[in-house]
Amino acid sequence: MRLVGLIMLTLFAFMGCSKLPEPNDAIVKVIGDCGSSDIVVSDIKGRKRADGFMQAQVVGENSSGSYQNLEYRVVWLDSEGFAIDTVLSNWNSVPAYPNQPFYINATSPNTKAKTFRLYIKRDKEVICDKQYDGQ
Amino acid sequence: MRQTIRWTIILAALGVLLGGCATKTTNIDINNDKGEAVMGLDYRDFQAAAQDMVESLLASGAVTKKDGGRYVLAVSRVLNDTMQHIDTDQLVKKIRVGLLQSGKVIVTTAVGAEGAEDKMSMQTRKELRGNEEFKQESVATKGTMIAPDLSLSGKILQRNIRVDSSTQRVEYYFQMTLTEIKTGLAYWEDERIIGKQGSNKSVAW
Repeated sequence: MRLVGLIMLTLFAFMGCSKLPEPNDAIVKVIGDCGSSDIVVSDIKGRKRADGFMQAQVVGENSSGSYQNLEYRVVWLDSEGFAIDTVLSNWNSVPAYPNQPFYINATSPNTKAKTFRLYIKRDKEVICDKQYDGQ
Repeated sequence: MRQTIRWTIILAALGVLLGGCATKTTNIDINNDKGEAVMGLDYRDFQAAAQDMVESLLASGAVTKKDGGRYVLAVSRVLNDTMQHIDTDQLVKKIRVGLLQSGKVIVTTAVGAEGAEDKMSMQTRKELRGNEEFKQESVATKGTMIAPDLSLSGKILQRNIRVDSSTQRVEYYFQMTLTEIKTGLAYWEDERIIGKQGSNKSVAW
């Protein structure tokens, strides 16, 4: 009886770790050991403003059914792919309400920014990592 | 004799036990600080507030000059209206660095709300001008300093709220204003709130 219970428990544990198919609109690579994330980035875009600064907008969806306080970090890269040294690349927080889209808006530290790389983490673990490669 | 040995062993064991309990000093990894939040303001709060302020300023377009040049910024007073002993430069310096990195703003240290930030910039001019010990061609002449276009001022406020007999909330408000000196108009303003909740026994000052 105890053995059956143990087998059942092991099966449940493995089922939890099986990777669920990612939604079609997922454009981020989800990094995680166990299962797929309930945080999905559905849109990521950037534009150059008239004054030369770059603006980034990331749209995500929290399908977990519970409020989550996510952290994100944007690393800005110049035209040669070098990371721009800035005070704007520290972790920042964004609220993700249940079953609602969340928006991350960021402005480049200077006019040299060409692309950016976005990281999202929850509970101090990185769950999303995505690079935007120009217009 | 046996009694002495027994006491020695007990004391040695106690020493080892207490030695093991002592908190070891370690360096904080400020790039990945997983430490618990504190009721007072720490560097993480200043970093977050400064980052938000710089981003808000750049996003607003208030520091973009029409002719493509740079604005000259003077740092005015940033008032500490909290119960903590804060050097407001913890916030202002980060904002200054961010604005300087933007390439749109340059900060003057010759003008400030409480006089020149860098006293040498004024002092050397006055003291060296006409001083025979110095080559006068190397001394800054009159009328070479650049006056500021913009002034950055602000305030950090604190509110303590008692939730119940054992819990308290502390709210910190970071308020900043960018004023055009010529017109006296505020081109940009923003506020960031940092809220904390914890034990009544924690002291937020």
